[in-house]
Amino acid sequence: MEFVYIFIPLLPLLAFVVLALGGSQFQGNSHKVGIPAIVGSFALSVLAFVQVLRTGPIEVPLYTLLQSGTLSIDLGLYIDQLTVLLLLLVSGVSSVVHVYSSRYMIGDSKYNRFFAVISLFTFSMLMLVMSRNLLMLYVFWEVMGLCSYLLISHAADRRSAGLAATKAFLVNAVADVGFGLGVILTFATFGTLDIPEILAKAPAMTDHTVNVLGWIGLDLQLRSVTLISLLLFMGAMGKSAQFPFHVWLPYAMEAPTPVSALIHAATMVNAGPFLLVRLSPLLVLSPVAMTFIAVIGATTALFAGIVSLTQSDIKKILAYSTISQIGFMIMACGLGAFVVAIFHLLAHGCYKAFFFLSTGNALASVEPGHGHGQDDHRKPQGMGTLYGGALLLACLPPFILFSGPYEHLWGVTGFASATIGFRIIGLITVFVTSVYLFKSITSLFVHGPKTYWPAIGQSGSDHSIIRPQFMNGSILMGLLVTTLILGMVLTLFWNWFAGFLAPALALADGVVGEGTVGVDFSIWLLVALGVAVGGWAFAFSMHANPWQQVGGSANWKARLYVLFWNKLYIDEIYDAYIVNPTVGLAQWLSHHAEGLGMKERMETVGRCATMLTDVLALAKPRLIGQNILVLIFGFVCTMGLLYVLS
Amino acid sequence: MFLDHLLSWVLLLPLLGIGVLFCVRDREMVNRVALSSTLLTFGLSLIVWAGFDLSRADMQFVERFELMPTLKVHYALGVDGISLLMVVLTALLSPIAVLCSWTAVASKIRTFMILILLLETATLGVFLTLDLVFFYLFWELTMVCAYFLMVVWGGAGRSPAGLKFVLYSFAGGLILLLGILGLYVEGGNTFDLVTLSEQGIDPSAGYWLFLLFFLAFAIKVPMVPFHAWLPGAYAESPTAGSVILAGALSKMGAYGLLRVCLPLFPEASAYFAPVIVWLSIAAIMYGGLMALAQTDIKKLVAYSSISHMGFVTLGIFVLNSQAVQGAVLQMFNHGIVTGALFLAVGQLYDRTQSRSIGDFGGLHKTMPRFVAMFLLFSAASFGLPGTSSFIGEFLVLVGTSSESFLKVLLAMSGIVLAAAYMLWMLQRVALGQPNTKAASLLQDIGPREMATLIPLAIVVFWVGLYPGPLMEMMDASVTHLVNQVGGVQLTQSSPGLTP
Repeated sequence: MEFVYIFIPLLPLLAFVVLALGGSQFQGNSHKVGIPAIVGSFALSVLAFVQVLRTGPIEVPLYTLLQSGTLSIDLGLYIDQLTVLLLLLVSGVSSVVHVYSSRYMIGDSKYNRFFAVISLFTFSMLMLVMSRNLLMLYVFWEVMGLCSYLLISHAADRRSAGLAATKAFLVNAVADVGFGLGVILTFATFGTLDIPEILAKAPAMTDHTVNVLGWIGLDLQLRSVTLISLLLFMGAMGKSAQFPFHVWLPYAMEAPTPVSALIHAATMVNAGPFLLVRLSPLLVLSPVAMTFIAVIGATTALFAGIVSLTQSDIKKILAYSTISQIGFMIMACGLGAFVVAIFHLLAHGCYKAFFFLSTGNALASVEPGHGHGQDDHRKPQGMGTLYGGALLLACLPPFILFSGPYEHLWGVTGFASATIGFRIIGLITVFVTSVYLFKSITSLFVHGPKTYWPAIGQSGSDHSIIRPQFMNGSILMGLLVTTLILGMVLTLFWNWFAGFLAPALALADGVVGEGTVGVDFSIWLLVALGVAVGGWAFAFSMHANPWQQVGGSANWKARLYVLFWNKLYIDEIYDAYIVNPTVGLAQWLSHHAEGLGMKERMETVGRCATMLTDVLALAKPRLIGQNILVLIFGFVCTMGLLYVLS
Repeated sequence: MFLDHLLSWVLLLPLLGIGVLFCVRDREMVNRVALSSTLLTFGLSLIVWAGFDLSRADMQFVERFELMPTLKVHYALGVDGISLLMVVLTALLSPIAVLCSWTAVASKIRTFMILILLLETATLGVFLTLDLVFFYLFWELTMVCAYFLMVVWGGAGRSPAGLKFVLYSFAGGLILLLGILGLYVEGGNTFDLVTLSEQGIDPSAGYWLFLLFFLAFAIKVPMVPFHAWLPGAYAESPTAGSVILAGALSKMGAYGLLRVCLPLFPEASAYFAPVIVWLSIAAIMYGGLMALAQTDIKKLVAYSSISHMGFVTLGIFVLNSQAVQGAVLQMFNHGIVTGALFLAVGQLYDRTQSRSIGDFGGLHKTMPRFVAMFLLFSAASFGLPGTSSFIGEFLVLVGTSSESFLKVLLAMSGIVLAAAYMLWMLQRVALGQPNTKAASLLQDIGPREMATLIPLAIVVFWVGLYPGPLMEMMDASVTHLVNQVGGVQLTQSSPGLTP
């Protein structure tokens, strides 16, 4: 019976293989392969959910990937309470995106390629959340990076798309050095890469240390669990676009809108929080790592919130909004509130998918080239759904972060004095979030797009093709219903939800089982909600002239605005201090080390030979064994000969 | 009779092909004869694999005839897990090299195919022989064949590149000969590798002999200070030459390290290992940086090859079973992936007579099949998980981690560099808009060209997702080898020997 769950990832994989091999023969009908596969895998996920609910975790062993010495990698699917929730989210959102894309992408010259890659993308994310082995997780972690590369470069005609794709992959590659090192250190420490085994062994290994400065002869012992947690978190920072690895996500907006929905809601960025929650029993052993995670999360949430306040491109705003929301989840993980993080992840996934798809709808309905010119400020359709989405998204963090049962979590990780700091950051971010969300909607859709059409990432499609005017309203309604269900879980079944997840997590002491009931409408929650509404009101007050007022007239305000509008110049800093020096060094080397002419080489060898005779004249030849001298001389001559001749 | 001399038949089949080639003139016939004789050799190598006993670490299918009793020169052939893998690799790449030259070689096709077949025999000979005299003869023969392939059918800069290649190889060959003669004197007047590795060499002589052999092999690999011949040779060879040169010939160096340096001079290997490990890491990073700076696609692949072979030598001299297994697997993978990349570059060159990155651009539109394959092999080249290189590199890194995490970190930064130069090159070649009129009019690759790439793509995924068979093939031999060296390392107590 268990083997049936192999089909959860296998169906999208088969769809990918069929589409990739079938190539152009499917033109226009590719969705007929992709949609049934992913809907089937959603149905099986529901089945898995029911079984996990009744009998606990499911294990499906696959095969042995690798066997070398003590290293043994057994691949297998592991479906526990955490996985099954992610499966529902991933396959559910992916199904919606597939159906939506089947109409959104009509007329695209790479229709088939698009469906093939989103199937592969979904497959990788499904495999990632079902991985039983850290190496297997790493494999799909990377394959997902490749899928994002393929999708971001979908409209490859634009140079910016190619650049964005390369950038996204490379930023992730740098972060994944941390992940890779973490995996290897895990194996060195625990002697296994099997996740349940690692988590079981972890408490006994808390005192195990590694000398991180041994290579320069110093002795700096760091606890292995801390180092492993931090290294693996570095990978999570890349995939989840956390500061300072966030730069790739805004560029990823070069992908068609449905892909954005997939990246932001179902795959890719969710991998980071998932990894942290999956390894939670390991993380909680290291207060240092937990603090670091919380600080990075809080920084990202605040930073990205403020940046999205200043952006003028709706897709950029949404990108930074995702970064900010994931920052919230990471912060929750760092504070030990893993259930909160997962709930936020699920809810955010649904809302963001919904938000992106309705943005796609609204933009498509006013897109220039549909028979009316750029001056024609047609009001977009579907405003109601957008407002609904914004409302939910803005109220999400306050609801779950400041809700009663988890209020005391703010202090659990042993630095209660910092609690107030996190709360204030949380509140500011809540405010900022609601301001930018409503500001962007009102300014874009009430006033109509002004002059910045080129800045909006279109799917690169041919404008002469007429798209269906209003797409898939029923799907959007479906998402709305899902969000309502999630809201009900939050308010009514919170305890049940936390209890359901508990076996898969390491919960901070006293979180579950304290008999907390639903949402405790504490004063903090009311304050947070008040702040969110205040942000909304503020946004409306700027309504009349949306883009000019933020900068204000004061000089420092303008400067601050420009600073954040340029995202703290982080892209420029990376270019100036990492990318350009590396390329510069490479070019310098290739000119100077490899590009020397024959003449220079002769001269260098000549100089070396003179120096050598000088040295030999100084030394007393009879003190040195004659044969050694001869050998050295012979060696140098040979080397010199090689050098001259090359 | 046939089964007793299986390995001789492997060596003989390409030679028989040459014999037949002397009798045919027609271009189509020449191609077919060459293809069928390489395919038969490949089939035969699979038969050897099928008959290979996975549990044994010693030489199998051994054949011996005494040729020169006074000097004790034997015609001796045999395979263990490591050489079998290399034989399969060479036999797999040869038909592909023939197939990619089908129409690309404009003149003197018969001579070209004869040289390819001779090169195959010579390379197989290096991997199969157990006698150092034959080892040396085959070793030098590969150089001669590769040289003529390069200077007759190569690109515009072929004569300086060929000269450089020959001078380096010749110097390396002489050093190798010196080493072999020294070994003959020190090792009790025998050229037999099995005898030599069983009886061992006097450690004090071992250090100098090790250096001689190491230098000869390091030039062939090539390791970083000895690599100056490589970019020119790889870039200026005709496609088939590059495929065999990078795919099979560069493995001869690494194979020599495994077959001669480690088992014959375990003390010296352990003694010099730290230096060689750092040289390998330097190669990984230096090759990566150089690749980043290239504007010629073929040179880029050539430099990336230095970087990848750095992983191989790193794994060999970390001297533990995971690292050595990773290194041997990586030798195989590198042959497949770099071979495929050279094929792809050759397909572009056939169309435009250009290898410059700036002359392409926007190929995703005109050549979607080509771009898909090129992307696949590029990803395999920078070790994307799920492809073959990942398994090899991961094993090497796990092995290295038992020594130092700093080295793992540096080696991993080489992987990031690999992703950077590959993707940056792809961005400029495959994405965006065509830079030249020619680039916008290119034809996508046809069935014959696909036929050269698809077998390699299958191998990439097969090894990446199910490396079990290959790992089993070499497991016993590698374990035996590591024990041979490891035993010495453990008994080594002199503090002066561990710098």
